[in-house]
Amino acid sequence: MAANSQKLPQKESGIFKKVVRSYECKQYKNGLKFAKQILSNPKHSDHGETLAMKGLILNCIGKKDDAYDCVRRGLKNDLTSHVCWHVYGLLQRSDKKYDEAIKAYRNALKHDKENVQILRDLSLLQVQMRDMDGFCDTRYQLLKVRPAQRSSWVGYALAYHMNNDFEMALKVMGEYRKTQAPPQKLPDYEFSEMILYEVQLLMESGAYKDALKFLEDFRHYVSDMLAYAEIKGDILLRDKRFEEAELIFHDLIHRNPENLMYYQKLEECLNITSDENRMELYRVLKEEFPRSHVCRKVPLGFLKGPAFRDMIDQYLRPPLHKGVPSLWIGLKALYENKEKAQVIEELVLLYEKNLQSCNKFHPEDPDPMEPPSAILWVWFFLAQHFDRCGDHRRALEYIDKSIDHTPTHIELYMLKSKIYKHAGDLEEAALWMDEARSMDTADRFVNCKCVKYLLRVNKIDRAIETAGLFTREGMPPLQTMDDMQCMWFQKELARAYWRSGQYGEALVKYHEIDKHFDDIIEDQFDFHTYCMRKMTLRPYVGVLRLEDRIRGHRFYFDSAHDIIELYLYLYDNPDAKRAKDAPIAEEIEQDLSHLSESERRKIKRKQRKALAKAKEKAAEQEKEKEKENKPRHDDDRKAATDENKIKFNPKELLNVEDPLNEANKFLKPLQSMCTGNIRTHLLAYAIHSRRRKYLLMLQSLKRAFSCDPENPTLHCYIVDYVLTLEKERPELPDPVHTVIDDCIPRLTDGGKSPDELNQSFIAKHSNSLEHLVAAAQVLYKLHPDYRTKAIAMVTNLSDSLIDRSLRTCRNVHKFLSSGFLGDCSDELASYSSQCHALFPFASSFKPPVEAGKELESSPASPGDAPPCVGVAGRSPAAQKES
Amino acid sequence: MPRIVDARMELGDVTVHNLKQLKKLNAVILPVAYSDKFYTDVLELGNLAKLAYYNDVVVGGVCCRIDHEGDKRKLYIMTLGCLAAYRRHGVGTMLFNHVMKIAKEDGNIDCIFLHVQVSNDEAITFYKKFGFEIVGKKENYYKRIDPPDAFILQKEMKTSNGSEESEQNTSK
Repeated sequence: MAANSQKLPQKESGIFKKVVRSYECKQYKNGLKFAKQILSNPKHSDHGETLAMKGLILNCIGKKDDAYDCVRRGLKNDLTSHVCWHVYGLLQRSDKKYDEAIKAYRNALKHDKENVQILRDLSLLQVQMRDMDGFCDTRYQLLKVRPAQRSSWVGYALAYHMNNDFEMALKVMGEYRKTQAPPQKLPDYEFSEMILYEVQLLMESGAYKDALKFLEDFRHYVSDMLAYAEIKGDILLRDKRFEEAELIFHDLIHRNPENLMYYQKLEECLNITSDENRMELYRVLKEEFPRSHVCRKVPLGFLKGPAFRDMIDQYLRPPLHKGVPSLWIGLKALYENKEKAQVIEELVLLYEKNLQSCNKFHPEDPDPMEPPSAILWVWFFLAQHFDRCGDHRRALEYIDKSIDHTPTHIELYMLKSKIYKHAGDLEEAALWMDEARSMDTADRFVNCKCVKYLLRVNKIDRAIETAGLFTREGMPPLQTMDDMQCMWFQKELARAYWRSGQYGEALVKYHEIDKHFDDIIEDQFDFHTYCMRKMTLRPYVGVLRLEDRIRGHRFYFDSAHDIIELYLYLYDNPDAKRAKDAPIAEEIEQDLSHLSESERRKIKRKQRKALAKAKEKAAEQEKEKEKENKPRHDDDRKAATDENKIKFNPKELLNVEDPLNEANKFLKPLQSMCTGNIRTHLLAYAIHSRRRKYLLMLQSLKRAFSCDPENPTLHCYIVDYVLTLEKERPELPDPVHTVIDDCIPRLTDGGKSPDELNQSFIAKHSNSLEHLVAAAQVLYKLHPDYRTKAIAMVTNLSDSLIDRSLRTCRNVHKFLSSGFLGDCSDELASYSSQCHALFPFASSFKPPVEAGKELESSPASPGDAPPCVGVAGRSPAAQKES
Repeated sequence: MPRIVDARMELGDVTVHNLKQLKKLNAVILPVAYSDKFYTDVLELGNLAKLAYYNDVVVGGVCCRIDHEGDKRKLYIMTLGCLAAYRRHGVGTMLFNHVMKIAKEDGNIDCIFLHVQVSNDEAITFYKKFGFEIVGKKENYYKRIDPPDAFILQKEMKTSNGSEESEQNTSK
């Protein structure tokens, strides 16, 4: 009935074909014209498929609402048409409603089981959504419909692979290979990749011997000889066929003498255990590969005593002679060993002396004189050396000497800035980095560094302006940075906003970073079809696996960590929401700074507002432009992404109902992808404790405990949990009791009381400031009358502490100022002056007069959690520096 | 002083991006501070302004202009210098050879001249090596430094071919 009335007569069905063709050729205007021809005939005005096609075309030219309207009407008129369902699916897909799209495709397939296009579209969505069972079914259907196509076979095998069914995957690949005649013309890259993919399948299934045999059988067809050798070497090594493996890794070193991994595997082949043998190996290799950097560098790691001294002496002189700015950075890892650092110091100081007296590194050297740049690089090296050793005064002396010697060299200014940063004077650091930047305005790297340093001192406008020197002209820098997914910048900017009390703006930046990860996942779509068509299966599998864990990336972790802490802060301080344009910061600033400062801030704020307005305008113009352009480059994906660009609104983000719920959203990926990082679980506890979810709190403690039972913040939390339970226990249902009773003993060293726990904690960690701060918090919480003792514990500055650093001392300072221990202004003053003696450049400890210009001490900054929820936790900003 | 055999020396352009390096250079080498306008004009000089690199570091620079005096065309060296630590390694010679090359390629330069503070023996010796002669003295040429007088050093270009060639030999 309905279906009959939907059947078009010959003439109209001809026009309908033209509609479809116009759509496929992106001639949207024509398509609409033809559709109108059909629909204007009263007999066919409700023709479902034509309406659907019309909707699809409307969607492509950006008329989303009309499109949905048309498609829905079309579907209503012809529920049995696969075209209508397919189009409905396509529309959902373009809106990223993938689950809906999958449903629509499935409906379409009900009415046309063997439609290849729909099957393909469905399989793409399934692999994207990781519906691997569904994917496997669909690939099977595709294979049935199109058994002659390679991609059908490969896709089917891949589906089994992704379900970890290696046997079936291999079977499918094997069946397919049997139908193929081996290529006549070599190299045949696609065939080669197919072979290597099968090898990979065999290896992942654990059948190494089979993999090797297979690889050898087909080696003639393999064109990726590097992969061939690496795979073969690995399998031989695993099989303990050392002599054969040795040959292969030796060849590989020959191919690339700078790949450290080959050397390590070669050592494994030779079963080298003693340093003498190892040295002998590298001596021989160095003769064979005289230009290899690795050969010279590896022995520095294991040699000791005079042998190390000789080796490092040989290692240092050529680059100091030539001028290699990165020399020191390459040796940084050696500083883990204090003796080695000492040897390096003595040696380079000796170079300095000798260069000044006779212009040679060693007076007895037969070599001719050193160039005048040699002493510059020696000083540059020494500056980095003393910076690393924490002797910032000497580091600055050396860098100043080198700047006097060669004031035109940019690296020197960058290093000077870095030393100030490490020494704790961020203002000065920003000044010098800007100086370096001004000396080569075509250097993007220095520009980026400068932007970062400006953000560290909350000079947000300057930073954005500076970044703008390298972004696309005619576009607001912030937008370009977002388009380029420049996440380090957005993270630093978010922190700067946070420190300035602009919480909404900070939230926007963190959400933008989160969005980048969505986009990266989205971008996979391009690979599903391409990789199967081009046979690049090994990298494709790599991409799929990478995307599965993409939110485990440090960039995500850092910003998720920050935003969770920020949401916790907003939850604990609901008033902060109202304090949007940093009035709190200003209040605190006022008693610290002079009037000119606040005036300057006011001006800044005005500028910021003006800037924001300008930005809005620019964005609007941009939109209009896009609208104009749209009909011309109608690519449905492009139009869709532009439409879907979410604009985050600081006010809305700030005024969320339940900040804890928002925080939880960011926690979820961390809990599945960063389980090894204790901070994940500490954050989880912080969230759950505020929601009074006792079992989840317990779970977080247990997970954190298995990461590091001695973590200071964890110590605070365990005590906090035990104390909370004491109070809340009667309220809890019985099963909860059972679970808790089951777990607590392990967390509390066999059921110790908080007091006992804290005492043994103190005894165990008496030389760690970080731990003492945690213990002091607990002590004061348990016994408010022990305040003096708690203060004495944290203000300990003895040099027997293993972690008396700028970072830890600054955390103590923050802790004392937080008011957790009550008013500590006297203790703070004396603590500051003691710290000032230890860290003379650090602005946090400068006496008030000197610190007048400072911008620090804002209401809350990243890492600054409220007391007992992680003052002992590391501040992200501080961690970077250490 | 013996030359360093493997030192890399080359000339580079002055651009809007590295102009500050020239400023830093002149600030420590030359006794006179130049105005901002001087530096914006430098950007228009093209080949007449160059930076000298020693082992990839800027250590010297030169800026000249062409003066017209009646029907004579003279090449005037406004600044030419090298950081103290890098002197006597051929940087100045490289810079001067560049100036000479411009003058020769131009083919229509009558002479090269410049001003030197009368007390600057190092510079006077340097230029005399290339055939410059003191042709005059300007009293109170400098405003803020002592002594304020300057010699005018000049090297004639339009001489017979023979002497030019011998010049080239000395500079090599």
